[in-house]
Amino acid sequence: MQSNGAEALRAYIRAETSKCMFCGFCEALCPTLYHGPHRGYGPRGRVNLARLIARGEASFTSDVVESMYSCLLCKACHLKCPGGIDIVGVVRATRSLYVLSQEVSA
Amino acid sequence: MVLNVREILLLMAEETEKNGIPLPINPRVITEWAEGLGLPEKGDTLLYTGGLYQLMPYINALVKYLEVLESRPSGGFLLKAARKLGLTGLAGAIAKPDRREVEYSHKVLRAIVKLLQSAGVEFAYNPSADGYSGVLLYDMGLDNVFRRHAVRVYESLKKAGARRIITIDPHTTFIMEKVYPEYVKGFDIEVVNYLRLLREKGYKPSGNGGRVVIHDPCLYARELGIIEEPRKLLADAGYEILEPRRSGRMTYCCGGPVESIAPRLSRKIASMRARELSEKGRRVVTLCPICLANLSRAGEKLEINDISLYLSGEA
Repeated sequence: MQSNGAEALRAYIRAETSKCMFCGFCEALCPTLYHGPHRGYGPRGRVNLARLIARGEASFTSDVVESMYSCLLCKACHLKCPGGIDIVGVVRATRSLYVLSQEVSA
Repeated sequence: MVLNVREILLLMAEETEKNGIPLPINPRVITEWAEGLGLPEKGDTLLYTGGLYQLMPYINALVKYLEVLESRPSGGFLLKAARKLGLTGLAGAIAKPDRREVEYSHKVLRAIVKLLQSAGVEFAYNPSADGYSGVLLYDMGLDNVFRRHAVRVYESLKKAGARRIITIDPHTTFIMEKVYPEYVKGFDIEVVNYLRLLREKGYKPSGNGGRVVIHDPCLYARELGIIEEPRKLLADAGYEILEPRRSGRMTYCCGGPVESIAPRLSRKIASMRARELSEKGRRVVTLCPICLANLSRAGEKLEINDISLYLSGEA
């Protein structure tokens, strides 16, 4: 998903993450969850942190940044998500929001 | 577990804007492998390496540096200081890659050229049109930097007369085939992966035979559907292919894509995958420079080589 500004990114993230049913099927396949210190190192955690960010209910704390930037974008989670969420797209869009918030990419 | 992300992103953005590569190194490292090969420079089909094989020795040197930083509580601060001081520590570390790794990347690129030539593919290599694709910028969410970079890459390919490009790794194939058309207005270059091209040509390579364990890269397997092509080529070259517990679409990541952000995490994942591969055999085939680098770092007891070397009888 190409970023066309923060609001478009938020709208995309809200739409995708609204499909999450919290089933956790994605977690068994994630390479990073097993090695991470919290659930944000897995796809379910990432999807729900992204949802909170997009809704303006969370900010980019170090835990949120770690959650998003520890993702390998390997798409293993896509194989088992019954909601068909574009989880990697959500992670990328959330990273783009972070970049915009940090004014890294002028 | 994750380094100072903002500082790493700033480094990547600044360096890419400056010299087209997300690291403080001379862009010539991307094209020097072809010097003396006498490849034609003009043609409407260009070999576009995307620079990933060539950059891996430098990324490995960076990861070694970052692993040291990560082990210190002040890692983020040190990285910030390094950037402010003109990246002296960082540039110094990256400027000294392992020469064997540099030579290995050149050997892979030359093997790919030989395979294409043997298969009867007509192509040119224009050094001024080759360069880094920007895939890491896209992955990191640096959308504006990536867009500007992609436009520059596209313009130099067009200027060189490219109507079709041959890509050689999963990340570059993915970004050129799936992402550039979305980010670059009017993108009209056909993208073809070399493994697909070798199969289309009905090329039968000749290798040294024996049993090999195949490691599918995530992007080939899940995004681009390149699963059968490498297997058929390896089988034609006389190898018996051993499948790890997780293979094909169910493959397991090498841990690579985050090595410059979370090196320790990356190494843990690579070790897990290397163990899994070793259950089937010692000789491992990789199809991606990132997988090659990460699995090599973690699987010291394995004999890991790029598919191009197996197919050309050099492994």
